Amino acid sequence: MTLNSVIETDFPEEFVEEMEKSQDALPEKIDANPENVEKGLAKLVLTLIELIRKLLEKQAMRRVEADSLSEEEIERVGETLMKLENKMKELKQIFGLKDEELNLNLGPLGDLM
Amino acid sequence: MKLYLYGIIDSSDQVKDSIYGLEGACVYNIPYCDIGAVISECTEPVQNNTKGNVLAHEEVVERLMGHFTVLPVRFHTVFDGRDNLLSMMQSYYKDFRDNLNRLRDKVEFGIKVIWPSDKIKEHITNTYKKNDKKVSVPGNSSNKRFMREKFEKYKLDEEFEKKADKFINVMDMFFSKFAAEKKLKKLKTEDLLLDVVYLVKKDDQDNFREAFEHIKGPHTSFKFLFSGPWPAYNFVILPKNSDLLEDSKQEDLFDKVVQHQELAGAEKI
Repeated sequence: MTLNSVIETDFPEEFVEEMEKSQDALPEKIDANPENVEKGLAKLVLTLIELIRKLLEKQAMRRVEADSLSEEEIERVGETLMKLENKMKELKQIFGLKDEELNLNLGPLGDLM
Repeated sequence: MKLYLYGIIDSSDQVKDSIYGLEGACVYNIPYCDIGAVISECTEPVQNNTKGNVLAHEEVVERLMGHFTVLPVRFHTVFDGRDNLLSMMQSYYKDFRDNLNRLRDKVEFGIKVIWPSDKIKEHITNTYKKNDKKVSVPGNSSNKRFMREKFEKYKLDEEFEKKADKFINVMDMFFSKFAAEKKLKKLKTEDLLLDVVYLVKKDDQDNFREAFEHIKGPHTSFKFLFSGPWPAYNFVILPKNSDLLEDSKQEDLFDKVVQHQELAGAEKI
């Protein structure tokens, strides 16, 4: 027992589960060593591509919201984003990476995504 | 002789209480100018992260908190002899002094909040469907359907974030009244709405706790975790360009000791 500090909650299991989930999602370091260097690098590269993909998607959604895309443009952007998403799914499968693994903890700046 | 470091204190005086640390060793202060490094001697490599050792470390830090301002150091910080320790103290004296001044008479409290994210999302979806009958992206080609789904998800996420901000702002407003500093993380997972640590003056502890009870009361569908008072684990600031960070052995001296807190108070909370 500690002396003064207390931890009070009626739901300890739920908090443990959520803390574990949040830690799994945010590796502080890229895990690259001779045995898994390929996966480590793929994770880094795919994380950056995923960031760019999400930025593109967000920008597209903002333009849809602002009604500044013609029907033809929506069609083209939709096709591009769909292909990009499918390609990412393929690459993640090839390197055995899950969505939540594609993130980086940037220390005081917070998380990349 | 290896020296196991528990923390830096704002005094060069000896620790008056008999405190026993890891391996039951006597804890004492090695003074440097007007501050000190509280250590115990250890001969063997300290077994990493056993619950007993983590609790022993935490207990020493908390005992020290009763008498001094403490900069708690990371669990398992060991120096190879007094000279190495004093050399580190010399390099960091000014930083330690600044932190000790800033953290004097303050303690850390942690609050975590889980909210019913499924219900919140369901509510947002229902409201969106009710209010926004206009199809956002007309057309039925696969590309347009894809864009429509993406747009609906985008709107859902946007509303979800807005709701999270709203709840967090209300809670934070109450807690911040009694806090000197805070470190707040929003939505670390979809369910974990808030994970925040506050630095609170010792005199404001009771008010802070009252504010927590006040917030907790009406939010019956939310789940709360309150912890503290802790040493200011999350509020020790060392400059990035400090020499300490170049020494790999001591690089993590003041890293967050979240795991440490987890083990100290409950199994893994």
